[in-house]
Amino acid sequence: MLKNDITVEICGTSGDGTIAAGGLLNEAMSRAGFSVIAYDSYPSEIRGFGRCVTKSRFGLEQMLAFSDKVDVLISLNDSQSYSRTPFLAKNAVVLFDNKPLAKVKEGGSIAAHVGPDANLFGVPLINLALEAGAVRKGKNLAALGAFVALFGLDPDFFRPVITNKFKTKGAEVIETNIKIFDAGFNSTLNNYGEQAVEALFAPVKNKNKGKILVSGNAAIAKGALDAGLELYFGYPITPATPIMEIMAKELPLKGGKFQLMEDEIASIGAVIGGSYAGKRAMTATSGPGLALMAEMISLGVMTEIPAVIIDAQRAGPSTGIPTKTEQSDLHAAVFGGPGDSPRIVIAPTNVKECYEYIVKSLQLAEKYQTPVIMLTDCFLNNRVENVLLPEKSSDQMKDCNIYPDNSEKGNYKRYKITESGISPRAVPGMEGFVFSSTGLEHTNDGKPADTPQIHMEMNEKRHRKILNALNDLPEPEEFSTEKLLDLGLITWGSSVGAALEATLKAQKKGLKVGMLKVPAIYPYHSDHISNFMNRCQEILIPELNFTGQLANLIGHLHKKVVLRLNQTTGEPILVCDIINRVEDILAKINK
Amino acid sequence: MKTSGKALAEKVKQIKESDMLSIRSESLPTWCPGCGYFGIQQGLNNAIQQLGLSHHKIVNVTGIGCAGRYAFFNDAYGLHVVHGRLLPVATGVKMANPELTVFAVGGDGDGLAIGAGHLPHMVRRNVNVNYMLFDNSTFGLTKGQISPTSPIGTVSKASPSGNVDTPLNATLMALSYGATFVARLYAGDPKHNTAIIKEGIKHEGFSIFHFYSSCVTFDKVYKTWNNLKDNVHPLPPTYDHANLKHAIDHVLEDDFSMGIIYKND
Repeated sequence: MLKNDITVEICGTSGDGTIAAGGLLNEAMSRAGFSVIAYDSYPSEIRGFGRCVTKSRFGLEQMLAFSDKVDVLISLNDSQSYSRTPFLAKNAVVLFDNKPLAKVKEGGSIAAHVGPDANLFGVPLINLALEAGAVRKGKNLAALGAFVALFGLDPDFFRPVITNKFKTKGAEVIETNIKIFDAGFNSTLNNYGEQAVEALFAPVKNKNKGKILVSGNAAIAKGALDAGLELYFGYPITPATPIMEIMAKELPLKGGKFQLMEDEIASIGAVIGGSYAGKRAMTATSGPGLALMAEMISLGVMTEIPAVIIDAQRAGPSTGIPTKTEQSDLHAAVFGGPGDSPRIVIAPTNVKECYEYIVKSLQLAEKYQTPVIMLTDCFLNNRVENVLLPEKSSDQMKDCNIYPDNSEKGNYKRYKITESGISPRAVPGMEGFVFSSTGLEHTNDGKPADTPQIHMEMNEKRHRKILNALNDLPEPEEFSTEKLLDLGLITWGSSVGAALEATLKAQKKGLKVGMLKVPAIYPYHSDHISNFMNRCQEILIPELNFTGQLANLIGHLHKKVVLRLNQTTGEPILVCDIINRVEDILAKINK
Repeated sequence: MKTSGKALAEKVKQIKESDMLSIRSESLPTWCPGCGYFGIQQGLNNAIQQLGLSHHKIVNVTGIGCAGRYAFFNDAYGLHVVHGRLLPVATGVKMANPELTVFAVGGDGDGLAIGAGHLPHMVRRNVNVNYMLFDNSTFGLTKGQISPTSPIGTVSKASPSGNVDTPLNATLMALSYGATFVARLYAGDPKHNTAIIKEGIKHEGFSIFHFYSSCVTFDKVYKTWNNLKDNVHPLPPTYDHANLKHAIDHVLEDDFSMGIIYKND
């Protein structure tokens, strides 16, 4: 049967080259013209016995999420891989090493764990690697060769990708790896014949011109660089570290400055200092780092200094599970810190938006003189998609600061009360505009003040300013076919893809289901959201946290209690989980 | 000898007419009368004036505590931040615009308790920031608790039976971290301090000025004006401030010598 897309998993332990093989596969399939969406799941230890799984979905059209089932499982280590067998689709293809070096215990082979419908293909992966003159680790390339042969793909899409991957390691290494890949390819072709697996795909039309295969992290870094970022301060933390590493390499080449700091407090402190002095500055962190930054973010709110913070959420609380995904920092992002400290919080939902929203965040921070937190999560930061990113433009680089008028020279009030809440901001070095800023409540010229009137006036100004930013924030996007709905889904961040796929499937079945994507977390478009809610009998908010943090934030807008689908598995939410819940709810409504 | 009222008025008039006070902001310091910080501020003001620094190209990043209020008392850009984090913020300011002269101003609680972790890294980065560490061994703004530099035995509301924790020595810390400009100065000697502050501002890299000051309100026993005055003295004539080992040996033995302890250009 021809399919529009297939899902491939490669599974092994740390050190098996699992993630590397997945990377090569994604890159080659992207070159071959497929749409790609991929995500790795790996343990926190660098070397150990943890399970590594790369999951890739290859399709003819742009895909929104992962499929629930796995069509192809490539096992680099059977003792790890058999845990994946419950996720196999009917008639799945399982590729495994049929001549491992060690004696296999009874039940040790994956062959013993799959259903009778599975198509098993044994290939002597380790032997092929050894014969090609490599160590056993080379089996990952033999497996790729076997995959290409089984599916009748063109190996010429793979060879240049392999060459590129090993280009820094010299001609000999490249040659050996190509040799292993070819050995896997030829051996499989000889044993199983040409295109052993019935063609899964309709012919591919290469629509990938201009697209790049990029992770959420890389898209964020690229967006910030294209937006003319000038300063980056950071501290390593999973899963945000790659953003910092790209900045360390790229930012100095573009005339900016990168500085590794001693902790997250220092990182955000330096961002505040740099922005105060008039430069475009940012940092990226995860939940534990965001917690440390809370006081400084609040300072940014009080002193009205721009700052952009990426929070790449991971499973919490505390150190939690560093390499697993979760959307559980929403409350910390919106409310974290002392006092009422309104700031902007936005959440991209896919790799392309990672690029677009970081550009927006940097501009909003300047225009509204405020910290902006961009909430991503492990699943979004680490997942790769082949996407068409916008061209770098002068619009992205535009200075969005609002500076004081020359007439204010000599009598400048930094925190002048205005209707919009925005007070024109001078920066150090400007003559005639000297002022002081403080985390203390202050008068309109930045001097400490504690009168009831000033505190109320300033609190109002700060909140008014952030509410006004709503005009510049990405609006909710609705996916409904009808005006009145039985069930409306509302969701955010990385869960949007799965929720949308579930919605479209439900709509295809004729169910009255719609979906609203909410990209602006704070401030949020309450009119828009409540309008949608009021057209739905029930509202379901699926999200990857235990308490339903978006539901807690916006649930009050609905006339009824909103329903929640809260999941904390550490893994992305599945389309089937949402569909099952949707059908349960509809069954109750229609009873 | 007491100055007569008339003579004092004349002196104030003279000072006001000169541009010595031009860097002072319209906000008068809120420090207690007799506070050592006035003396520190005087030395700093003189240095700024003598170097002819433009006020709009000065940024004072200050911490929380009595010293932190300095941001409001100078006619320059001031950024009064959260407790203990003035050094990272100053790093950002200076890296953003190297043309600015950046002062980080904070007390001993701010810089040696909550913010002590930033000092070694500021030294490692060696960003050209001038750190004015006002050390009066007191948490003054919270009404007189012991600080990390309080002597053993100090009785306060936070140490009713007397302090038992070993005091820190910020000068020694800075030396051991590898700071390239370390000065120890006495708040009561602005004239002497002016020249040294000027030298530190001109130093390309991080400079730390460890000021010994009194807290006239809460410390009536240890760092009082009288005790400080009796103990402080200049560095010995043979002192070689280019020799780190020499400097460390000296500081280990002598707590009260004032001047440029170490300088490496």
